[in-house]
Amino acid sequence: MLAELKALWQYRELLISMVSRDLKIRYKNSFFGFLWSFINPLTTVIVISYIFKSVIGQPIQNFSAYVLAAYLPYMFFSMAIMDATGSVLANLGIVKKIYFPRETLPLTSIIANFIHFLLAQVVFFTYLTVLFILNPKDVPFQATTIYLPLLLVISFLLATGIGLLCSAVNTFFEDVKYIMGFVLQMMLFLSPIMWVAEKMAYVTPRRYLLMELLNPVGVLCNAFRKVLLAPTPVNVNFGDTPVASNIPGHGPLNTILANHDVAMPALPIEWGMLAYTGALSLIVFFGGYWVFNRYKWRFVERP
Amino acid sequence: MSKPVVISVQDLRKDFMLSHSGVASLKTLVLKWKKPSLQKLEVLRGISFEVRESECLAIIGRNGAGKSTLLSLLARIYRPTAGTIEIRGRLAPLLELGAGFHPDLTGLENIFVNGMILGISKKELEKRLDQIIEFSELYNHIDSPVRTYSSGMSARLGFAIAVHVDADVLLLDEVLAVGDFDFRQKCARKIDEMREQRKTILMVSHGSTDVERLADRCIWLQNGVAAMEGDPKAVMEAYQQNSTNTPGL
Repeated sequence: MLAELKALWQYRELLISMVSRDLKIRYKNSFFGFLWSFINPLTTVIVISYIFKSVIGQPIQNFSAYVLAAYLPYMFFSMAIMDATGSVLANLGIVKKIYFPRETLPLTSIIANFIHFLLAQVVFFTYLTVLFILNPKDVPFQATTIYLPLLLVISFLLATGIGLLCSAVNTFFEDVKYIMGFVLQMMLFLSPIMWVAEKMAYVTPRRYLLMELLNPVGVLCNAFRKVLLAPTPVNVNFGDTPVASNIPGHGPLNTILANHDVAMPALPIEWGMLAYTGALSLIVFFGGYWVFNRYKWRFVERP
Repeated sequence: MSKPVVISVQDLRKDFMLSHSGVASLKTLVLKWKKPSLQKLEVLRGISFEVRESECLAIIGRNGAGKSTLLSLLARIYRPTAGTIEIRGRLAPLLELGAGFHPDLTGLENIFVNGMILGISKKELEKRLDQIIEFSELYNHIDSPVRTYSSGMSARLGFAIAVHVDADVLLLDEVLAVGDFDFRQKCARKIDEMREQRKTILMVSHGSTDVERLADRCIWLQNGVAAMEGDPKAVMEAYQQNSTNTPGL
């Protein structure tokens, strides 16, 4: 693997130029091109916020900011992984004609989307500033924002690992592209993006744990939200099932009327789960790279 | 000859798996799990040769004899099934006209992308930009997208980049066959010049004049083995004799 990384380092200029080419095509019309690529997430978030706040009822202040904070990392994963998955196959013509480290193809997709994600974070902070101007009472910027780089690194490793793996396998089995599209679509619903993690964590803690263990994207989306935004109490409806144990700040649960909303404190940043996700991302990264290296010589001999 | 060996190929073999299904999908994997529809095709069956510094080796042979596979193996596009390839110095493969050109990028942008793929830094490319453009004779077209180029134009650009990246070994796959007479003359002069600069050239060609004019040595590839090796004129004659005696494939 060291030799592979060394070869990649020799071709770093190629990687840089391919990334800048990718971004150039995306932001072709300079300022407006840049703007357009954020209109999609912003309108999506506005629609989600409206539906979930006004129609379904998720009474959190500035809910749209909470959705946006978690939706942007999801967008990164979704776009980076989908782009990377098709990258080798789309460039098979060049791969068959000329040697260069094949990793540059999926890496270009991941890095270009990562830079896009970083720019999206800037847009996010702008959005927070707007909220702050509209309502200066709640301070939008959190001290925990300093943990943002850590989350970015974990996200990058995870996306790169999955991207390398999928791009290699997709070259031989194009089904991977459809499977990933489907899995990522499901992740949008199964990750705490449109809903807040607390609701699931309080009501069905075991299911929540399962979701977190199986869905590192969900853990990261939630962590971005926790790190970037103020913790807010969440109204939780425990339904009519009797729930044991006491919750801080509340009496025994049986005093709570069934089917009533209870204001529950926000959960802290889940460091343990984040450590697990970080370790998983490392494994996925090295595993993905290993698989990619195993298959990369066979790309050109694709049946 | 006492010049150092630049390319050393030892007992090189390459097999390909021929697929009859033609579709890569999980369905075929599941359905053909027990009986893979793959057939082994031996393209190269043990080839050994050496090329020394500033030598020009030509490889001739019929379609499907394994010439392009051999060049692709040297260019590190395929991995050999068996045998070894050792190349000293940097390689500039020119396996097809405008290989690796991105059709939507301009000629100028493609010079940079292609040059970097060939392993040369951006700084160096900027230095040689004028030379490349001059050699390609694309002056006015260099800012147009490559998809608007004719095949001759993209071949010229590809050749211009490959000869200006200062590689030690140049691989040419029938690239001299395109382009007009003047450009071919120019390419031939450039190849002579490169050999004076102690560059090594390995070319695949069908044109007997090119082979006889440029090559020092010639290998005739037949059915994945070297049928004959030696003086270009003699090998070419034998090859043409063989072709006329057994027409077709």
